[in-house]
Amino acid sequence: MALLEARNLTKRFAGVTALRSVGFKLEQGEIHALCGENGAGKSTLIKLLSGIYPYGSYEGELRVNEAKVEFESVRDAEAVGIAVITQEFSLIDELSVAENIFLGRLPKIGIRVDWAKLHEDVVILLQSFDLNIKPETLVCELGVGQKQLIEIIRAIDKHTGILVLDEPTAALADNEIKILLNHLKRLKEAGTSCIYISHKLDEVFEVADRITILRDGESITTVETVKTSIPGVIRAMVGRQIGDLYPKRSSQRLGEVLMSVDNLCAANTKNDELILKNITFQVRAGEVLGIGGLMGAGRTSLLMHLFGVWGVRCSGRLLINKKCLDDNNTPSDLIKHGLVLVSEDRRRYGLVLDQAIGFNLSLSSLSQFVSFGKLDLIKEYETNQVMFDALRIKAVDQTHRVGELSGGNQQKVVIGKALMTEPQVILFDEPTRGIDVGAKLEVYELINRLTDQGKAVVLVSSELPELMGMSDRIMMMHAGTLSGEFSRSSFTQEKLLAAAMGQS
Amino acid sequence: MNLKLIRNLAMPFALVAICTFFAIKEPSFIGPRNLTQLIVEFSITGTLALGMFLVLLTGQIDLSVGSGVGLIGGLAAVLIFQYNVPAYLALGIGLVLAIIIWSLMGLLIVKHKIPSFIITLGGLLIFKGFFWQIIQNSTIPVSRGDVENIYSKLTTYYLPHQLGLILASVIAGLFAYLMHHARVARREHHLAVSGSLKPVLQWFVITTGIVGLTVIFNHFRGVPLTVLVLACSASVIYFLTQHTAFGRSIYAIGGNAEAAVLSGINVTRVTTLAYTLMGAAVALTGFMTTAYSGASTTTVGDLMELDAIAACVIGGTALRGGRGTVGGVIFGALIMTTLLNGMTLIAVAPEIKFIARGAVLTLAVWMDVRLSKK
Repeated sequence: MALLEARNLTKRFAGVTALRSVGFKLEQGEIHALCGENGAGKSTLIKLLSGIYPYGSYEGELRVNEAKVEFESVRDAEAVGIAVITQEFSLIDELSVAENIFLGRLPKIGIRVDWAKLHEDVVILLQSFDLNIKPETLVCELGVGQKQLIEIIRAIDKHTGILVLDEPTAALADNEIKILLNHLKRLKEAGTSCIYISHKLDEVFEVADRITILRDGESITTVETVKTSIPGVIRAMVGRQIGDLYPKRSSQRLGEVLMSVDNLCAANTKNDELILKNITFQVRAGEVLGIGGLMGAGRTSLLMHLFGVWGVRCSGRLLINKKCLDDNNTPSDLIKHGLVLVSEDRRRYGLVLDQAIGFNLSLSSLSQFVSFGKLDLIKEYETNQVMFDALRIKAVDQTHRVGELSGGNQQKVVIGKALMTEPQVILFDEPTRGIDVGAKLEVYELINRLTDQGKAVVLVSSELPELMGMSDRIMMMHAGTLSGEFSRSSFTQEKLLAAAMGQS
Repeated sequence: MNLKLIRNLAMPFALVAICTFFAIKEPSFIGPRNLTQLIVEFSITGTLALGMFLVLLTGQIDLSVGSGVGLIGGLAAVLIFQYNVPAYLALGIGLVLAIIIWSLMGLLIVKHKIPSFIITLGGLLIFKGFFWQIIQNSTIPVSRGDVENIYSKLTTYYLPHQLGLILASVIAGLFAYLMHHARVARREHHLAVSGSLKPVLQWFVITTGIVGLTVIFNHFRGVPLTVLVLACSASVIYFLTQHTAFGRSIYAIGGNAEAAVLSGINVTRVTTLAYTLMGAAVALTGFMTTAYSGASTTTVGDLMELDAIAACVIGGTALRGGRGTVGGVIFGALIMTTLLNGMTLIAVAPEIKFIARGAVLTLAVWMDVRLSKK
């Protein structure tokens, strides 16, 4: 008898099917791993199981102990004993570890908090995790790994029947991972069931009893861990053909090196944690360099750092057009040198949503329209119009507000803005995220046109088929380092994914 | 969209209602003498509001301008009255000092990412302290004896009647030319152009307003000089916001600061420049309002920061930045001044005036929030 069962779950977002008739069974007292590439549907499935997407927003049914359940909210899911630990922290920085763990259910005498009992309980809990933290320590003084563990302790201590862990070890050090995995095994023996999601397959193989593999929103197979192997799981995760979604790249000679990154190390500004380690690569004129990797591998940090908006450089150099740029360049300096970034989050980093299409298009290249301090509005309009037409932005005219456009058209405006700076090197971060297939194809064609014109393109993408379809060369990143480089003739999904997981 | 229409219509309607109310209560409200006074007060509030407009557009705020107005006006008065400095030099020193102070304050806010609310709240108290120190809690006239100087003339000089009329006609003509020019340009680029009735009507209302007011002013003493100060300030700010890269950057920073940075906009420089211009507006307002009261006293500039913010918000400037127009700000300043002038005229008790002022500010911000949500 399954403790938790999903039958024929289908979840659609505007135009995209995230889950297609997914079936999934969790037995009493097992650790069940969910594996799949980015975008395979793992997160969507969890959000259905935990009530974040309420009943009615999907098709199919959920059963707990054979009884059909309809979760209206996270609270309903918690009521039947499902607790989810996500990658985002929900701890309160200014409160102590003890207060955080028992938040909302502090032991009390009358209306007064029973501090003595609270600390006693917390000390026992922390000891069971081999954590050497004082209960009264403020959460903001903890490292990321410790915070993650506190988050887990809090969820586990709610005595839930079903524990869902989404990438719990992403921020943990090796010894912390070991403690966590051991604790999970103990919980299992005590009867708790656990859904475990991780990109780290060696962990999965260490704790999981069974593995369900998702691919493109479908549940491919469920296997017992002892009957399979890491390469077998990877094969099942990627097993798909690349269609002709990707326009043919004209095979042309590569030109000179336009951008060169030498032994780059960079740390997070906030906590000085080293995120990018010894990154070295070059991009040539006419080349598309793909950069792949799993969530948190440091791809976005790398692009944002190169563009001068993230992190502190510890060492290394950046050369554009053979010109060495020092480490405190702002985006405006870099744009002048011919580098531009198309960010992954267009609404946050790309667009002024309240303003017109034209306003956004020319925003990075206003200086070319200035004469004697005055903007030549007519010249600006005409130049914008050329870009507006070339990108086939679907709107009445360029005075239309950007916020009202579809995702694909917004993306075109962001790309148009970057291209109007007449760059030599263009960094694309997930340029096709959240846009429909037709718009995707247009973006791909645009990238090919750019390289035909002798520009260099760096393409970061979470989708392996996209990387393989578009790149001349692919670098994979893993935990802030380059974990493998592949030329077009040697691309296989298995090799790329293995490199992304640090298995090569 | 609908809400916006209601708002656009609500404001002119409110102005007409306010004027009608005061005119019935006290007919001299629409007399040439009071209208002249009203327009001088309007010029003062309007100039400060234009500076505030730039600061608000970037998504910041400035609460220190009221004290600043008193300080700079007082400083110039002290230089003239106690140190016998020539008036033009005293005004120059005040202007330069204001520009320096506000540039530094702007730099402090953007460079070190300290909330502008706090910095300028500190400024409010600090400037007030220096202001009272400088004038030693007394009353300092803007001129020595009864000798007129450029400072005292700021609010007592009126344009000769003919010159006023000529200027009014020239401005009306200029409006017609600019409006026509813009329509031709739009049509050339196949952009939607409204029917010709609307612009003609618009132009007619503007022209009647300008020429009509000039005639009314001429029945008293003529067009006050302060109106020209406001008109010049408004033209400069309009040009800056609509026709320069600086203006674009200001709207972009207020609309989405992160995107502005990634678009290669120097946020530090642009925001600091907005504060610099705020400083210039503070100095101009300080001179005009001190001259208007004839002397610098401890109450000059009190609460003017709130009137300026209210004027901007009434005129459709978003408090979170990135949205607003010069025309709207001018209109907002007109509503605010009319209200204050009318209340003074019918001798409303000061305590009631505070309440009314606060209510208008609250109402305007409430409308801004409602509109921003959508």
